[in-house]
Amino acid sequence: MSVKEILGRFHEIAADPKAMKDKYLSEGREIVLVNYYTPEEIVHSMGAVPMGAWGADVKINEAKKYFPTFICSIVQSAVELGMKGEYAGAKAFIIPSLCDSLKVMGQNWKVAVPSIKFIPMTYPQNRKPEYGAQFTKAGYERVISELEELGLPRFSDEKLKASLSVYEEHNRVMNEVSELMASHPEISNQERSDVFKSAFFMLKEEHTALVKELINALKEQKPGTDKLKIMTSGIICDAPDILKILDENGLQIVCDDVCTETRQYRASYKEKATALDSLVSKFCDMDQDTLLYDADKTRIDYIVEKAKKTGAKGVLLLLTKFCDPEEFDAPMIRKACEKAGLSVNIIEIDRQMVNYEQARTSIETFRDLLNG
Amino acid sequence: MAEEQVKKHRTPPDPNSAKYKLGQIAAKAYQDAFDAKVRGEKIGWCASNFPVEIPETLGIAVVYPENQAAAIAARGFGQQMCEISEADGYSNDICAYARISLAYAKTKDCEGQQVPMPDFVLCCNNICNCMIKWYENLAKELGIPMIMIDIPFNPDYDVPESEVAYVKAQFLDAIHQLEKITGKKWSPEKYKEVMEYSGRSSRAWLAATATAKYEPSPFNGFDLLNHMAVMVTARGKKEAAEAMELLLKEYEQNHAEGKSTYRGEEKYRIMFEGIACWPYLRATSHGLKDRGINMVTTIYADAFGFIYKDFDDMCAQYCKVPNAINLEYARDKRVKLCKENKVEGLLVHTNRSCKLWSGFMPEMSRQIGEECGIPVASFDGDQADPRNFSEAQYDTRVQGLTEIMEANKEG
Repeated sequence: MSVKEILGRFHEIAADPKAMKDKYLSEGREIVLVNYYTPEEIVHSMGAVPMGAWGADVKINEAKKYFPTFICSIVQSAVELGMKGEYAGAKAFIIPSLCDSLKVMGQNWKVAVPSIKFIPMTYPQNRKPEYGAQFTKAGYERVISELEELGLPRFSDEKLKASLSVYEEHNRVMNEVSELMASHPEISNQERSDVFKSAFFMLKEEHTALVKELINALKEQKPGTDKLKIMTSGIICDAPDILKILDENGLQIVCDDVCTETRQYRASYKEKATALDSLVSKFCDMDQDTLLYDADKTRIDYIVEKAKKTGAKGVLLLLTKFCDPEEFDAPMIRKACEKAGLSVNIIEIDRQMVNYEQARTSIETFRDLLNG
Repeated sequence: MAEEQVKKHRTPPDPNSAKYKLGQIAAKAYQDAFDAKVRGEKIGWCASNFPVEIPETLGIAVVYPENQAAAIAARGFGQQMCEISEADGYSNDICAYARISLAYAKTKDCEGQQVPMPDFVLCCNNICNCMIKWYENLAKELGIPMIMIDIPFNPDYDVPESEVAYVKAQFLDAIHQLEKITGKKWSPEKYKEVMEYSGRSSRAWLAATATAKYEPSPFNGFDLLNHMAVMVTARGKKEAAEAMELLLKEYEQNHAEGKSTYRGEEKYRIMFEGIACWPYLRATSHGLKDRGINMVTTIYADAFGFIYKDFDDMCAQYCKVPNAINLEYARDKRVKLCKENKVEGLLVHTNRSCKLWSGFMPEMSRQIGEECGIPVASFDGDQADPRNFSEAQYDTRVQGLTEIMEANKEG
């Protein structure tokens, strides 16, 4: 397949996760919903397909029965989709309690969508000391036991080891393709987003295979004309309108600090006595993340260093409305970037945006600043 | 400012009363911290549900930014402090306590409530994860160490052993870190003493708040919003134990004499859910009083009775505070309070500053209403940002609640 054809395939998958869910169900596979840093590898090792549930750009009606308006729309729209049957057929939803909105999501989910079992994943914030690792492990063991109770095949550390290999290879290719896409300005921001987003709706071995095809095809393709390089940061960056405005303004995302994009692929597994311990080590080693306790605010340094390293001239912070953790970091990110000579633009986004004209004006000004 | 004017005309409380003594304990905590700072000791800013036993046993003076923010808001300085943080780029969707506190960290001055600047911060997230980000920013901006005790939200009804072990290890770590920072030493004897005072305070608090079972209640529930600050921050002190025992004695005496701190006829008894709207304490209180409604209970009545037998048990208790517990456990605690105190209606503060408390409250309040057979009304507000409250909406909602309670009585 050509680069365009492969990117077209990623787009189909990213734009229609329900079709992927139905495909896997028709093949007799179980589906378990996941988001943020849920232990997908465990689900994978037990034979089920982990599918991302990050909500969608939909109007929130039904979920209003459960949430006040000031809860983030990622959480609200995921519950909305659940209530409307969009996730029908899924066996369970593993929801971590890494922020206050996720905590309430789990509590509301079990009442609002009783047909899809809520499985909590309680992570430690003090994850560096040994007791943090032990608590993480206890959380994973609980997830395993709940999945077994739902009728999934019994957990085996050997199978998990095999799954970790699949995920490690996926991590590797995602980091490779991320760098490679940065050197191909002809790839649109929408296409870049599709590569990351589709990963949530496919078995990782299948996604890896498609990404490898893209890598090989891209290596054969002559890079297009340079554009203005930017870095994005935030929880999500998949709104087609925002991506289109960036493309129309000649801005190219060359790297990101987005939760649903490369933040997923920063940490890897350490060699440990068991595969489960290796999986624990991955979470405990995660850093530079707004959802994880970080007294040194290393995320801020990470953004500055990453932008500089990749040649990004500016940082676009896509601030998810009502996302406390991100909102607390925003002033420090702005200050640090400006100090480092990087332009910063902060745009408030949510899953219910219908008018993007304000965002367009803001991005146009950002472009002018970068050009200046 | 209206609150200030009203306060000026109030008769000062009797210095022998529990109310006065409890007020003095809260005020003394600030002065103790100022004095310690002058003596060259290291002092901290401390999250409200951080295990108070740790600084108390170590003899470290701390102040509580949440209490400070509430005082600033109640005295009419909330908006100006929030706006200082907003000018620095903080979204106005962020908790108003945090915005006020971050503004104070910058200005180091607010006549609403002065506090000494900290040498370290003590954070605990058993009330919300917002605390983590707030304290990270305080520590970073002020260039001081942060001690973090992570007490995760428990999705189960009971506290699992793994959580108690995780929390205990952190308590011990926090003690070691504080010993290193301040040079003070942990004393098991002192801890035992603190634990005993904490137990006495807690038993008296639970018994005092339980006197709401009497009809009429011997107290106005708004009293609890003030007194609970002592339970949160000073329950391990001898003075707190004595003042709480005095409070219990006064409430029992009120009942015996047919008196109450609630002025007027108690026509309806409600539970109030959520943190107070500090900028509109008078408006929210009068909206009830004018209709003969007494707020006889809140979750605080149950929440701050920390009775434990040893260090491990103390760790488990800290995993059970409101906002760290699941829907079913949180609901059952409230149902118990409603039933024991013969509550006729539930008034819910949908608090824009508190995503965790408000985030599953619609479902919880539905379940409480159904189980207790009582009407539920909610209003939009904020614990400290005056821009997020409408007196007209509050009035309409309370009126609606009153009409249903009235119809139920006639029923």
